[in-house]
Amino acid sequence: MKVSIDWLKELVNLNISVTELIALLPLRSVSIKEFNEDFFELDMKGYNRADLLSMRGVAREVAAITNSKLNFNDEKIDFPDLPKVEVIVEDTDLSPVYCVAKIENLKVEQSNDTWVKKLSDCGIRSINNVADITNLIMLEYGQPMHAFDAQKVSGRVSVRVAKAGEKIVTLDGKTRNLNQEDLLIADENGPIGIAGVMGGKDSEVTESTTSVLLEAAIFDPVSIRKTAQRHGLPSEASKRFQHGLTKTNLLQALAAAIKMYEDLGGKLTAITLIGNLKQGTKNLKLTQKKTNSLIGVNIPPDQVKSSLKKLGFTLQNETVTVPYWRLDINIEEDVIEEVARMYGYENIPSKPLPNFKTKLFQVPLIYNLKKTLADLGLTEVQTYSFYSTQVTKNLELTTEDLIKIANPISSETEFMRDELWPNLLEAVAKNIKNGFKDVAIFEIGKVYSPPDKETYHLAIALMNGSDNPILELNQIFQNLGLHPKGGKLENRQYFHPTRFTDHMAEVHPRVVNKFGIEQRIAALEVEIEK
Amino acid sequence: MEEKISQIQKNYLQRIAQAKTLKQLDEIFLALFGKKGELTLLPKEFGKLSEEEKRKISPLFNEIKLELETEISEARKKIREESYKKLKGEKFDLSGVEIKKRTGHLHPLTQIEQQTAEIFQKIGFSQFEAPHIDSDYNNFEVLNIPQNHPARDLWDTLYIIPGKLLLRTHTSNSQIRILKQNKPPIRLMNIGRCFRYENLDARHEHTFEQFELVYVDKNVSMANLQYLSEYFLKAIFGQEIKVRLKPKYYPFVEPGVGVDGLCIFCKGQGCQICGGVGWLELAGAGMIHPSVLKRGGIDPQVYSGIAWGFGPPRMAMLKFGIEDIRLFNSGILSFLQK
Repeated sequence: MKVSIDWLKELVNLNISVTELIALLPLRSVSIKEFNEDFFELDMKGYNRADLLSMRGVAREVAAITNSKLNFNDEKIDFPDLPKVEVIVEDTDLSPVYCVAKIENLKVEQSNDTWVKKLSDCGIRSINNVADITNLIMLEYGQPMHAFDAQKVSGRVSVRVAKAGEKIVTLDGKTRNLNQEDLLIADENGPIGIAGVMGGKDSEVTESTTSVLLEAAIFDPVSIRKTAQRHGLPSEASKRFQHGLTKTNLLQALAAAIKMYEDLGGKLTAITLIGNLKQGTKNLKLTQKKTNSLIGVNIPPDQVKSSLKKLGFTLQNETVTVPYWRLDINIEEDVIEEVARMYGYENIPSKPLPNFKTKLFQVPLIYNLKKTLADLGLTEVQTYSFYSTQVTKNLELTTEDLIKIANPISSETEFMRDELWPNLLEAVAKNIKNGFKDVAIFEIGKVYSPPDKETYHLAIALMNGSDNPILELNQIFQNLGLHPKGGKLENRQYFHPTRFTDHMAEVHPRVVNKFGIEQRIAALEVEIEK
Repeated sequence: MEEKISQIQKNYLQRIAQAKTLKQLDEIFLALFGKKGELTLLPKEFGKLSEEEKRKISPLFNEIKLELETEISEARKKIREESYKKLKGEKFDLSGVEIKKRTGHLHPLTQIEQQTAEIFQKIGFSQFEAPHIDSDYNNFEVLNIPQNHPARDLWDTLYIIPGKLLLRTHTSNSQIRILKQNKPPIRLMNIGRCFRYENLDARHEHTFEQFELVYVDKNVSMANLQYLSEYFLKAIFGQEIKVRLKPKYYPFVEPGVGVDGLCIFCKGQGCQICGGVGWLELAGAGMIHPSVLKRGGIDPQVYSGIAWGFGPPRMAMLKFGIEDIRLFNSGILSFLQK
């Protein structure tokens, strides 16, 4: 969320400087990704604070952590008695709340400089005054809005899932083949928008638009997420639907949007509100004992109460009432985090762990083996858990025997290794090409085989400049005192016709040559137990 | 021109056929394709040709070029295969030789990880193994990260069977196993490879290491978390390092904690490495979420716990001044032997 600094100052009487605020936010609320004189960006990736996806939510948070005064209150909403826009919601699970207001007498123009600046501070491009209102409201309240050109919508509006074979051209000009799970807004001629994701091109607001159908809705977050992913259409709107919306806020936002259109000279002529618009309240238990024992500090009850009050919670006896905008607060521990944040995590003292006797520990077998190998003069390498395309090609591997990644990043991460020595051979070749005349390396790591088997292997690769490196490799092997059970070098075609044992072999020059090198290389592979 | 090309073809095919060693073939290759090779220089004469001739000559030239290339590489293979036949005559004995004197090296990640294991072992933590290949359930769902939840955006995942079997994206897949298989008090740690769907650059790897500990007992608090963070970072970076906690969201802890250390480069003055803030985020942690404890068979009314983890690659980069994360898995000796 990019937060416009000018806009924030309209919403809250900041009693600290912006620089101080930018230093404080990561300690109380959320990290800051980037900032300049116009905006700061909250790091919201994956975060569950839906309220912080709006200017008002950020203003409430800022007011609470800085003891500043908010310049707004929730209004009491009363819509006038007007005719209804004809709407049918066919799937009330996917669309529990659906509201449409018809506004006429509009003239599409460029937005004023204040609006353009607010939008651009928040990372959104200005389109025109009518469309910009929907984005300004989304930014201020966190409630996405969509404006259809009312003259391009024929007959009754319906909210339904797509039918087989249905298509829509979206605002970006692309034709989208719809899936039968996609939730749509449609008129009697077909789809006019993908609900919560993107509007349709045919019903777009253009220069000639004079009336709009303004939509404010709550859609099922999972459905919106799936549809946005299916069509590769992540958007500011769909992000907010996925994080969750509230009814109180929707009504606040809708009333504010209508007011903005009216200020442009528009006239509200019809309105339809569908769904249960009553916001429930959430009460949770909070005890002083649990609070103190989880944070590890004795915070006086008055301080707990006043901290929560600043954040919009009320605490009465041991019952906390959660403000409607905090969808992320569901259990006692969530409230305790609020108390801890307001106390300041950085003020929590350090408390040592009690003494502890354990018999477990276990001898670090693998580390000891690594140490022995390094003491013998070998260098430890770590290679990818995959076979590179160079390895699969040069070894002509039958990949059916390997674990396959369903969504590889590239063909370099498609197949998982089932032995280590091929990757070491690749590493030896790379180092020889870099001018090394002697390469003695080892790796201890996991190898994988279908369906989900993992075992630890040790592999060594040795290029010592001689034409018979297995002699020295055997000495190294003898020094390790291993009695391996598994991990045999079984694919004879990769190895020298005479120089091999169960666990050691000279790699066949035919294989070595394919990696573009001429030197003789010996390899070892054994399974080890952890 | 046509004649000239077929002359080269005839001449060199003969020479290739007669070559007996790889060295001879290398010479032939150079004579054709080297800087002053016949086939390298020839196209410079094409300028003199008429358009019509060019249309005829160009494909012919390319055809001959490819033929000669293929012939050389086939001849190479043949000579090689001949030499491979001699391998059967090479003796195999394992008579003793001395091991060459070399200076060995442990991988920088092994060094950091062993140091970490020893630091935590001193205060009672034992090592615990968790698999790299795991179910979507153990890696995500049991940790309050259901399918189609916005929090999934935090982990780009490599799947073996989409939605079911995956490469673990974090060592947190050890949590449910640790909780189910042990009774409190618990002090266990898991170190190992994790995987993400990540395009490679100097700061991003798809294959990387994580460390994570799980501590469960009665009255475990955020004050213990502050202690663990200080205890570890002082052991790694020295007694003078300052440590502060801040809020951070992970779905499987509540409260969630980010662990900052005072920037070791600028001592808090603000520099390029810490992005001017004077602090570096060095670890992620939190109080284990009660629903995770419950799924692990532990009563959250009686016990609480800490999950605390960090990335050894990043720690090694800071401690040893390594600038490119890709070096760890590169096998490049000039890096590993530094």
